[in-house]
Parts: sequence; C-alpha cells; structure tokens
Amino acid sequence: MQQLPLAVRPADQAVFESFYPGDNLSLVHALRETALIDRRNLMWLWGGEGAGKSHLLQACVSLAGQSGRRAAYLPLGDSLPPGVLEGMELVDLLCLDDIDRVAGNADWERGLFATYEGLAQRGARLVMSAGKPPLHLPLRLPDLASRLAAAATWRIRALGDEARAAALEQRARWRGLELPPETSAYLLNRVERSLPGLFRLLDELDLAALAAQKRLTIPFVREVLERLGLESGQVGSVASSGRGGSGVSSGRTDADTPPTAPTAVARRTSSRT
Amino acid sequence: MPTPVWNRCLEQLRADLPEQQFNTWIRPLQAVEDSPVLRLLAPNRFVVDWVSNHCLSRINELLENDSAGLTAARLEVGSRPIADARPAIPATGTAAAGRQGVPSARLGGKLNPDYTFASFVEGKSNQLARAAGYQVGLNPGKAYNPLFIYGGVGLGKTHLMQSIGNQVLAGDPNARVAYVHSEQFVGDMVRALQHNTINEFKAAYRSLDALLIDDIQFFAGKERSQEEFFHTFNALLEGQRQVVLTCDRYPKEVNGLEERLKSRFGWGLTVAVEPPELETSAAILMSKAAAEHVDLPEEVAFFIAQRIRSNVRELEGALRRVMANSAFTGRPITLDFAREALRDLLALQDRLVTVENIQKTVAEYFKIRVADLLSKRRNRSVTRPRQIAMALAKELTSHSLPEIGDAFGGRDHTTVLHACRRVKLLRESESRVSEDYQNLLRVLTG
Repeated sequence: MQQLPLAVRPADQAVFESFYPGDNLSLVHALRETALIDRRNLMWLWGGEGAGKSHLLQACVSLAGQSGRRAAYLPLGDSLPPGVLEGMELVDLLCLDDIDRVAGNADWERGLFATYEGLAQRGARLVMSAGKPPLHLPLRLPDLASRLAAAATWRIRALGDEARAAALEQRARWRGLELPPETSAYLLNRVERSLPGLFRLLDELDLAALAAQKRLTIPFVREVLERLGLESGQVGSVASSGRGGSGVSSGRTDADTPPTAPTAVARRTSSRT
Repeated sequence: MPTPVWNRCLEQLRADLPEQQFNTWIRPLQAVEDSPVLRLLAPNRFVVDWVSNHCLSRINELLENDSAGLTAARLEVGSRPIADARPAIPATGTAAAGRQGVPSARLGGKLNPDYTFASFVEGKSNQLARAAGYQVGLNPGKAYNPLFIYGGVGLGKTHLMQSIGNQVLAGDPNARVAYVHSEQFVGDMVRALQHNTINEFKAAYRSLDALLIDDIQFFAGKERSQEEFFHTFNALLEGQRQVVLTCDRYPKEVNGLEERLKSRFGWGLTVAVEPPELETSAAILMSKAAAEHVDLPEEVAFFIAQRIRSNVRELEGALRRVMANSAFTGRPITLDFAREALRDLLALQDRLVTVENIQKTVAEYFKIRVADLLSKRRNRSVTRPRQIAMALAKELTSHSLPEIGDAFGGRDHTTVLHACRRVKLLRESESRVSEDYQNLLRVLTG
C-alpha cells in the first residue's frame, strides 16, 4: 500500500553546512570570514552553472544575518530593476549573484558603480559571482571594470565523480535520508552528473522513498529511474549486478567494449518524457 | 542589532518564505521598536513594496501573537543612523554656518586614512603627479590650482587625490575638505533640485577649503551638472580654495564636456599618471602586503607584477587572493599560491569543454579523424584514443555516461565505464598514456 507523501518538504537550505566543499575549502573559509569579520573585503566567485555560486552567496548572507549583521542577497537580472541597488550601500554585506547577466547594461553598471563606491567608503563587504572572472566580463564602464578587478577572485573548483557522490550523500543526510555509497555510485554511472541535476533527482527519490516507505537501495532507485524515464531495465540489470560483472555477453570482441556489455541497450525508452 | 521581537519574526518568516526571497527582501530590513509599532527600515522602495505586498500582513499577525506588545509593523525607506553613513546634503546652514565645528567631510565620502603620501609607491610612471600633489597638500589653494590628474583606470589617481586631502587635514584639522565622486555630485544635485534645497547644495560646496572631485569624465553630457559645477569651481578658485580633479583622459579629450570647463581645468597644472613599470608594480605589491603585516617574497611580487601590467587594482586583487590562501593554510606565501591566484583571476582554464570539443582535440592529437572515433572500427590506433576521449568526457563534463556513450556513435554506458577504468589502469602502468592524457587535459582546460 502506497502512502501519499505530503506536498511540503523541507527545502534544502543554502547554508555553509549543506555545501560540500571538495577542493574549495579555502574559498569557503574566506567566505565565512567575510561574513563574520567587520573589515572591508571584496570577493569574486566564478564558475559554470551548477558550481554552487548562488548557494555560497546565500550561505554568506545567512551567516552574516544570523550574527546580527545587515546583509542582502540580490540575484541580478531576475526581473529586478537596477533601482533595487539603491540604498544597498548601507548594508554590512552585499552579495550580488550573476553579475554577468547585467554586464553591458548602462543603467545597471552605473548602479553597480555607485553601490561599489558607497560600500567601499563605509568599509562594507561585497561578494559577487559570475560565470567568468571580472576581467572577462563585457563591462562598458571602465571605472567599474577596474574596481571589480580588485576583488580577490576565486574559481569554484568543480567536483570529480567521487566528490559528487560524497556531496550527494551529504545532501541526503542533510535531509534525513540515507543514501548508501553503492546507490550513489549507481546513480553517477547513469544520470546527468551536474550537482543541481543530481540534487533534483534526490528530490524525486526522496518523494518516492517516502511514498513507498522504502530505503534507497539500488533496486528501488532503478525502479524510480525507470518510472521517470531516466533508465531502462536492461541497463540497470547489467550494472546492478556488480558493475558489469555478470551481464549477458555481447559476444563482440571490440577492444573498447567491456566483456559484459548487453547485446541490446535501450536508453531513455520509457514512455514518460 | 535586530530586536528580540524582530528576531522571533525572522525565525518564523525564514520558515515561511523560500530562502532566496528571505535573503533578498527580509535580510536587509532593519527593525526599530517604536512602541506600539515596529518600524522596518528598508534600503529602497522596491524592498518596501515587495515586503508590503508579500508579507506585511504575516508580520503583523506575528506581532499580534507576540507578547512584546507591538501592534503593527510600519515599512519605510531608511537606515538606522550609523557613524559612517554618508549624510545627505547638509541641512540649511550646517555647512555654510562657518568654519568652526563643521565636520570636515560633510559632503561626499570619508577620506580613507590609508591613502597617504607615505603609502603611495612612487615610480617613474607617477613621480611628477606625486610631487605636484604633495605641494598642493602642503599649500592648498596656493601651489597649483586646480590640480588636474589624469590617467587610465586603476593607476592610483584616487589614492593620490585622497593623500592630498589627508595632507591638507594634517596641516589644518579644521579645514573643510570634501572628496566627492562626480557621480555623487550629480546625484546630490539632482536630489537637491527635487527637494528644493539647491541653495543649500551650492552653499555647502562653495564653503569648502578643498574640493577633491574624482572621475570628472562622468560629467560628460550632463549639462545642468556642468553648469552647477562651473559656478562652484569658479567660486572656489576665486576664494583661493583648492580644487583637485581626476579624469581618465586629458581634459581636452573628454567628449561632452563644455569648452569653458575644459579650458578652466587647464588653468592650473595638469599631470599624468602612467601605468606602473615592473619594478613599481612589484614595490606596490610589497607595500600593500606590508600594510597588512604579510610577508610577500620579492620573487612572488615580481611573478605577479610580470603578469599583470596594466592596472594596480588587478594587482591588488591577485594579492588579496594570495594572502587569503596563505591565511587559510597557515603556510608562507609561495609561487604556487600566486600561480593559483592568477589562474583564477585571468581564467587561464576558462574554456568551454564539450564532448564535441574533446573529440576534435583528441582526434587532432592522435592524427585520426573524428569519424574514426565515432565509428565501429576496433583497431587499436582508434580504440585507444576513443577510450581516452571517453575518459576525458567523463572527467571534464557533467554528461551522464549514457549520454557520453551516445555521443560516441551510440555506444552503451557500460562501454564508457569500461573505457574509463581501462584508461585509469593504463595511466598507472604506461607512462606514454599518462603523458598523452595530461597533455590533452592541458590543451582542453587551457
């Protein structure tokens, strides 16, 4: 009998505790310090989509806010007008996400310049993020470009597969779910491996596990992936038998084909799209 | 600090709202208990509007249920007074009321006390500007008036200008010195016009002993501001008060600036600040590190300076990053720290890595065709590069293994897994493979 899960689930909080640092330990340390120390600081984080920029910026604002500081997180370009920057020079910590989305826009750039100057004069802290370092942004205002280049610039280091698995397991624990290592390894061999994608999948698994009152074992996860149209039974059966240990032999001798690959593989064949 | 009742509201709102909305709209609010209401000060009207529309009734409900005795919240644009906040245009008579007792930086921003001639690193690129500035600081209104400093962004014009201001104040602590960015002058003037306080605005500016006005290229095209500034400028010069201006180019080259202003700017002394030469850049880095009580080895200073030639601010950014790494690890600053900092700043690894790009690069490297990689061919000259390309795709992209398999001629995800394991083993046992893999990684990630 299936239990209907409640539609309301605790959201993943964007705090430092729920961020898996991987090779970004010194960056996380620098951000924590920026949130808590009352000294002028200027930081720039960059990395690809899903690298964790928004998470880190919000974690910074959260930590500063909890310690009694006035802080704000602004995702730029999200239908917010440049006027939203007005008065923001009066906060203790300002985090501006996705600067690249407003680079080249004259009104935004003037607003950013004024905010930068206001914060600098008050000795307040500014943490920014973008997909690129400041020097690579198509800024039109050279005065702004040069000021932003004074930021301590950090690239968020992408996680390798092992670290992704660890991050996924940590996120599951954070939500009170147990994700055994063999299940996370199973997932990483089958689905898109960006962290946001994996975390979204965890949402689905969380719901499914709650509804079925089951643990996240490989057979259960395979069942959910099939239901979601992310995996075919055949691929799953080969892999779940021990990473290609005892599948049906293809009989092919292709040097780049594992000896245990299945003969026919149907991927993403589920009717659900 | 938040008040206890507001803290309780915050806890509840945090649970109610999506986290991003909470961090964007609720965090920047400041609460002031003004019984029986709780005043919530927001940075701007957008925040006021959002909170009014989305959670004011919830806040009122929370207040009603709280034992603190506050009945309602009132939202307004504002900020609790803080010592460092930039005051608006002084109220009538404040700045014009006379010399004594008037704070020296009522207009514009505070002078940064760290910007002094002692901390300004002199080199061939800026020595004339420094010498002129120093004279002006010692004899304001007498030496060179106006002093016009021009040069590219991030070369130390603001540092020099503020050093002059600090020097003037060191000579006469009661001197009224204002450091104002041109944008701020324009903004303050617009507000004064809106609030009908333009006379106070004029009086405040014209009563200064020294006006330091930064980046006057921002006046370009703003006729009303130029007009006002022209009169302020004349009044100050006539009263033998010092005016210092900076600009990103020679005055005559600023488009959109009135001729009469351009010509007046040339009445005093015009000096250039050039990009620093290597030795000066290294010296700047070492001086900035010393100011933070950090030991920066000369070889690291030169390493950074060699790679960042155009702009002092970029040097500063690289240095901050290096110092942060050293502070975190507790290790002395090394060339490796500097290399890492520069990689992040200059994005040396910033390439878009796609499976197609990997296939193309690998095919070129092994002098085969991309079609061979995707084909069913099984001879070793093709399978080895194919396996390496698959392993690189797994390492450098987020695609799922089934997707990677698909991209290699519709192969299975277990084939990709096998390839990755095989390459891992080969890299451990065959130096040639390890070298090829490293070379390809370097090419692909810059």
